[in-house]
Amino acid sequence: MTSNYAVMAVTLIIWVGLFVYLLRLDRKVKRLEEKK
Amino acid sequence: MWWKIVLFVVMSWVIIAAFVYPAPQQGIGEASRIFYFHVPQAWVAVLAFVVSMIASVRYLRKGDLLDDDRARVAAELGFLFCLLATVTGAFFAKVTWNSFWNWDPRETSIFVLLLIYGAYFALRSAIDGAEKRARLASVYAIFAFITMPFLVFVVPRVLPSLHPSDSVVDSSGKITMSSTTALVFFPSLAAFTILFIWVYWLGLKISVGQRRAAEEAVR
Repeated sequence: MTSNYAVMAVTLIIWVGLFVYLLRLDRKVKRLEEKK
Repeated sequence: MWWKIVLFVVMSWVIIAAFVYPAPQQGIGEASRIFYFHVPQAWVAVLAFVVSMIASVRYLRKGDLLDDDRARVAAELGFLFCLLATVTGAFFAKVTWNSFWNWDPRETSIFVLLLIYGAYFALRSAIDGAEKRARLASVYAIFAFITMPFLVFVVPRVLPSLHPSDSVVDSSGKITMSSTTALVFFPSLAAFTILFIWVYWLGLKISVGQRRAAEEAVR
């Protein structure tokens, strides 16, 4: 069960990283659209 | 913004519950937890290929390059999620069948599907001229889509396969999973779908921006 928690932690870190990356990309795209 | 918070919370819930709740198929053991990610990835791949086909048909009818962008971005995401489903499936195969790859009908059919959509990108990169490329790629995408239901749904069920086939519904269409499994699986399906829509939207905006910038540079 302990290894399950380790896999869960790694998956959560990847998810948070991906989510933050998408949020920043989203903001950049919106800023570019506003410039036009 | 609210749907991004919902997506974050639901996906985080899915990740936590997938590893904390009892494994969905006790007979297979811990490896069956991959079901919570593998099946939604395959679902999103199918959804993306449907979007790609619809956009391709629209391009052929209206000739708007925006539809070609839609078709390409959807096909790219479909390919990515199909690849993810293949990789997660290979890990499951290693644990349950003791081999990452053994050319099971399900593995073979998904490999052929990846090749078909891989050829779509090769075709696109081989043609100069946006309109000619869009027209040929749209026709190809429609033919590629026609093979998808056979390769994803028919072939693995007609030929004898080791792949579990009754994890979601049985042959009579009845839902087979327990209520605990459903509490993780359906939110996962929803979260992956919202994630796909978001990434698709971002990809489309970037793609349209790049195309317009290139058009302006030519002028």
